[in-house]
Amino acid sequence: MAKPFHELRERLLRAGFAPRHVRRYLTELTDHLADLRAEQERAGRSRADAESAALIRLGGMDDLAKAMIEQRQFQSWCVRAPWAMFGLAPLFLLTGAYVVACSILWSGWKFFLPGANTPFVPLDGFAILYFGVGRLLYYFAPILIGWGIGLIAARQRFKVIWPVVGLVLIASIGGTAQVHASRPAVPGGVGHISMDLALGSSVQDISYSLIHALAILSLTVLPYLIWRLQKAYSLSA
Amino acid sequence: MAARETNPNFMNGVSELLILRLLQQEEMYGYEIVQAIRSRTDAVIAVGEGVVYPVLHGLERDGALRSRRKTVNRRSRIYYSVTRVGSHRLDDLSQAWTNLAAAIQKILTGGQHGEAIP
Repeated sequence: MAKPFHELRERLLRAGFAPRHVRRYLTELTDHLADLRAEQERAGRSRADAESAALIRLGGMDDLAKAMIEQRQFQSWCVRAPWAMFGLAPLFLLTGAYVVACSILWSGWKFFLPGANTPFVPLDGFAILYFGVGRLLYYFAPILIGWGIGLIAARQRFKVIWPVVGLVLIASIGGTAQVHASRPAVPGGVGHISMDLALGSSVQDISYSLIHALAILSLTVLPYLIWRLQKAYSLSA
Repeated sequence: MAARETNPNFMNGVSELLILRLLQQEEMYGYEIVQAIRSRTDAVIAVGEGVVYPVLHGLERDGALRSRRKTVNRRSRIYYSVTRVGSHRLDDLSQAWTNLAAAIQKILTGGQHGEAIP
């Protein structure tokens, strides 16, 4: 990207414009600037004069930014509905991941452990891999979704409040989600998997839930914080 | 010397009209559109050239324009052309602008006060 457009990019991203629209605008401006420069050089100007004349013809940064900012339809959904992007969407994604993880647990129990009263028993062979996929999803879905929130917030130069709300929500759910498995006492009864959100009843359970939630929050918030610090450093440098 | 820019308050809606009219004749990319506006209006209408892109993107989003990437002389360009929706929009804009211009002209040439504007 041409150097003159760094400031414009930051202004548009901070104004809430979707990165893909900003990228396209800047790509076309860069091409246009190259055409103008070539036109000026053909007219006999030196490279430096051609560059400054081309920039004047292209328009000032304020005009270029204002022209785009007037097109409100290109603002991203993160700006138009932050509660949906940082609250509802992660919630639905995490729910979906947990449903898939529970389905894997339930189907694995049915196929690999038909006689067992619980799926939480030592495993061997292919069952380790099968149940492992569900376990990975259960433990890593909150972290992956949290990284997604951080990435979106960073790409769109979002203020800290909404991403933090989303990250705390995901960490709270991830830390307190508990899976239960039960089988009715009747012969041939089908096993049942359920999930709830609870801190636990004993001090040990509560401590575990809180540590789990804090671990998720730390892992997800860390990359976002590092990015913000880097950005602040590069702006002050 | 750079041409003096046209007062933006008089330009509301005009850029859309000119762009749609030009693109109805042939597909063009941004630089070509701006140069065509400059040359066909004898540089009477001159705005910061870069501001044409948000207008193009807005028209495309509304379905009035379509775009396609085309490589010409080893350079990739985004060419724009008018859709059926764009043609209807051009008709509406042309009609509105013709009425407005006629009304202003009537006042400038001392037309009768109170005459209805069609």
